Amino acid sequence: MLYTINKSPFTTNHLESALRFAPSGAPILLYEDGVYAAVEAPMMAAAMRDTLADHPVYALDADLEARGLTRVLEGIEVIDYDGFVELVEQHDVAPWL
Amino acid sequence: MGDKVAIIMRKAPYGSVYTAEGFRTIMGVAVFELDISVVFADDGVYALVKDQRPDKLDMKPLGDGFPMLEDFGVSKFYVHDKSLAERGLSADDLVVPAQVVSSAEVAEILEANGKVLPF
Repeated sequence: MLYTINKSPFTTNHLESALRFAPSGAPILLYEDGVYAAVEAPMMAAAMRDTLADHPVYALDADLEARGLTRVLEGIEVIDYDGFVELVEQHDVAPWL
Repeated sequence: MGDKVAIIMRKAPYGSVYTAEGFRTIMGVAVFELDISVVFADDGVYALVKDQRPDKLDMKPLGDGFPMLEDFGVSKFYVHDKSLAERGLSADDLVVPAQVVSSAEVAEILEANGKVLPF
């Protein structure tokens, strides 16, 4: 199941909560303000590296670029809208709103 | 029973419209006789606590609505164990006889239903 996150990890627990439930190996997709979890930021980077050890993590390029986020953590796969659609075709979705 | 759907409730009841909208959605989905599982996690567990007095805010009852969902064929209520415990709550504090489940069991319920509606 694909867990999707669209809120910043700095203001909400959406990502933290999803990670409590998502079984090891479940893909995580960051979009809209969720992409703030995808960048090199001291407050999140260590937690995201732990996450990457257990889950494939994707971030939507349009949302990264729109926000001026260029320093994406190594291991996160940046995808475009077609990639988004492919993921949704491949998995049932748990939208963690 | 037809298709399965899971509703996941993660928000506290009175500070936003999510709980009320989630409840309305459950009612709407129930009309179509779908097989519904309702999961309460994070602040969503607060939607089920007893002794809510929404009249104090001139608001409609939220928690009290959940037990009556049984009349609409909705009786699969699940509550996340850690979310309850972290908030100093237990199953006895809730308005419905919900099954207390682990994080892994929540994931399994979502997986088994395939369709997940978040509130």
